[in-house]
Amino acid sequence: MGNSSSSSSSGRGHQDETVDYGALVPQGVYTGTQDWNQQIVAQLIVSRKLAPFYRPLEDYEDSWDDEQILAARKELPDPDNADTVTRIETTSISSSHSGKSRRSSSHKEPAKPEAQVYRGAVECPICFLYYPANINRSRCCDQAICTECFVQIKRSEPTTTHIVSEQAACPYCVQENFGVTYCPPQWRAGLGSDHGSWSDISRSPSEPTSRPTHKRRQKSFGADSPEVVLTDHIRPDWEAKLEAVRAAVARRANRRIIMRQVGDRLIPVGVTSGRVHALSPEEAAAAESAPSSRRNRRRGNGGNDGNETQYMGMSGQDLEELMMMEAMRLSLLEHEEHQRKEAVEKKKKDAETAAAASPGDGAAGESSSSSVPASTIGPLATLNMTTPSMGGSGPSSPTRLTVKSNSLHPSSSNPNLSSSSQGGHSPTQSSRHGTTDSVDSLIAGRKSWSISRSKTPPPPSQAQKSTSSVPAFSTLRAAMASTSTAAAVLRSSSSASNPDASTPVPTITLNDPSTSKHAPQSSGDTTTTNGSVSTVYSEVHSTDPSHIGTNHGDSSERQLSPLTNGTSSSTISGAENTETSIDDSVSVTAGEDTDTERNGYGVLESSPESVAREPLLAKGGAGSAGLTMHIEEVLK
Amino acid sequence: MTSISVRRLQKELTEIQNEGCPVGINLLKADDFQTWFFTLEVMGDSLYQGEAYTLMFRFEPQYPISSPAVQFVVSHDKQAPIHPHVYSNGHICASILGSEWSPVLSVVAVCVTLQSMLASCKKKERPPDNDRYVRTAPDNPKKTVFHYDDDTV
Repeated sequence: MGNSSSSSSSGRGHQDETVDYGALVPQGVYTGTQDWNQQIVAQLIVSRKLAPFYRPLEDYEDSWDDEQILAARKELPDPDNADTVTRIETTSISSSHSGKSRRSSSHKEPAKPEAQVYRGAVECPICFLYYPANINRSRCCDQAICTECFVQIKRSEPTTTHIVSEQAACPYCVQENFGVTYCPPQWRAGLGSDHGSWSDISRSPSEPTSRPTHKRRQKSFGADSPEVVLTDHIRPDWEAKLEAVRAAVARRANRRIIMRQVGDRLIPVGVTSGRVHALSPEEAAAAESAPSSRRNRRRGNGGNDGNETQYMGMSGQDLEELMMMEAMRLSLLEHEEHQRKEAVEKKKKDAETAAAASPGDGAAGESSSSSVPASTIGPLATLNMTTPSMGGSGPSSPTRLTVKSNSLHPSSSNPNLSSSSQGGHSPTQSSRHGTTDSVDSLIAGRKSWSISRSKTPPPPSQAQKSTSSVPAFSTLRAAMASTSTAAAVLRSSSSASNPDASTPVPTITLNDPSTSKHAPQSSGDTTTTNGSVSTVYSEVHSTDPSHIGTNHGDSSERQLSPLTNGTSSSTISGAENTETSIDDSVSVTAGEDTDTERNGYGVLESSPESVAREPLLAKGGAGSAGLTMHIEEVLK
Repeated sequence: MTSISVRRLQKELTEIQNEGCPVGINLLKADDFQTWFFTLEVMGDSLYQGEAYTLMFRFEPQYPISSPAVQFVVSHDKQAPIHPHVYSNGHICASILGSEWSPVLSVVAVCVTLQSMLASCKKKERPPDNDRYVRTAPDNPKKTVFHYDDDTV
């Protein structure tokens, strides 16, 4: 407020701070942050396109004299201003006030221009304070609005859940793209006056007294009229803000947790920035090598539109922290999962050892272990996490985590998978090897597993558990769905943990592009289409062992056939938040959205659990919508 | 230096006290400039004849630039009116309380609008998603992003 004080403190030396007895800066009507471009506003005021920030009057009566007017001026927050007031009063300028017809008080003392400008003051309909009558007018409907209020009106702030920035509407007539016009007084004082000299003032007093009556404007102004000042003009950064939010969302969508494999578990060791160059070396390389179009698409999965936002710098410190916390949580989750899985695996192994005589089909990996594929995963896995807010609205919005493992050495990864899958049904495996393109691609490339889950653990794991004493899925899921994920996880894990665990079975999804296209199946049944089999799993609601067993048998058979065809993709779409997908980086569903949303488990599912899920299946439509699966194509 | 909200609410209050509220609307309590209560009745012929409801206004320091949080009071002896845009927890789905709020509107203007919203109601029923919403609704209705699907209100 130094401006105002100095300006009003009189003297030509300070006049450069005021325009027509108003200030260039707000007078404290609003206390919030001043997020408009103050330089632009000051310039507009100096050029008389916007009314200066006059000190408002708390009240106004036409009968008031200058002293009363000045006394009614709102007190300014800082001490200087009190000073100012007194000084103003002493600064009374003696001059001829010919035009004071209105001034009832004129007889008392010489007019003060500072007071004179308030003659005929009008009330701003928003702040209910009084301002000189030559107040800004809305361009559309010619309503008064003071500059203090005008600068408060702005576009709706984009948020990560609502990534749009709508033009500010006129508070009076709700017309889009709010703007004002300003009709300056005939005289000038202060900045922008001819010489900024005292002479201006000496002549001005007469002018202000000719009370600037508002003449009804003839027309409304278009948003592009030169005399109009739009809310966007004084906040030219609105677009950048919007972009920043977009970028934030996009970045979040692309963020990955870097996992390191320790023994047979994955430990989160960091979070990528979400920018391409921040990816792990291999991944970055892959991304770069990949055609731009593909990259776009990949990013598109994250829900952002456009690359450019990707590269925008973001201040995401808090986000990073959030991510780290999530990583921790995940780690914990993973651990439990792992334990659980081990237990299940062990059981399974025991049970299936005999059946598993035919090798091979495990190669693809078992879908059975939906959850974190600790052991089988390649050295590096990245978790792609989306914070809940992404999806949008409610508290229930799922957190999506995509775990991507980039196995540096494809061959190694494959073996792992196969080994893990071994437990499953062998027949499929063998057949599959021969025919499946997807498998080949897998081997060649690196595999990425994306495990996306919201707060709930992936369904598959549940299925596995079914054999053991695991709480019914639905229960668990409900628990998960609730905010206390961690608790739920703990509970589940504790129940699930089985001492005799063999190697954890990772869920591997191989999405063969072709298969994935065919994949969409709403029913729990596996469909075999032209050699591509896709199994869609919805969440398992029943953990009944018997179910599982029967299913198990069925599933294995189904899968086998697809495998032979050469491409098999089973898609497990968890219902709402839970989805685990491991997808081959190579495979990206070109086709339907639904595909992308679902995880395709290209790998055969030999595990009973997977089968168990099948029956329940209800195409995870709803759920899948909430969770978009990330299918990353890294390869090619 | 008081905040803009206090300043403006003071003026609105003065006006209410001087000129009174529109028919059917009464100021119940305005002890401070954070929360005000009004009673609301629908006059004349309507589904809500003879029923009185209590409206609660909560103001932020940015009022009137930011909209007030307005809802019906639901307590042991007070209910929210049964209306397609009023949830059983008292939250109101009305665009003027959200995206179409204008700083030119005032507390009384909101009361009048809600009064007419009730008056024009054809059928007493809860919003279709009432249960789901109420289960997870935040305390402050302003935190809810309503989807305004009915512009007849």
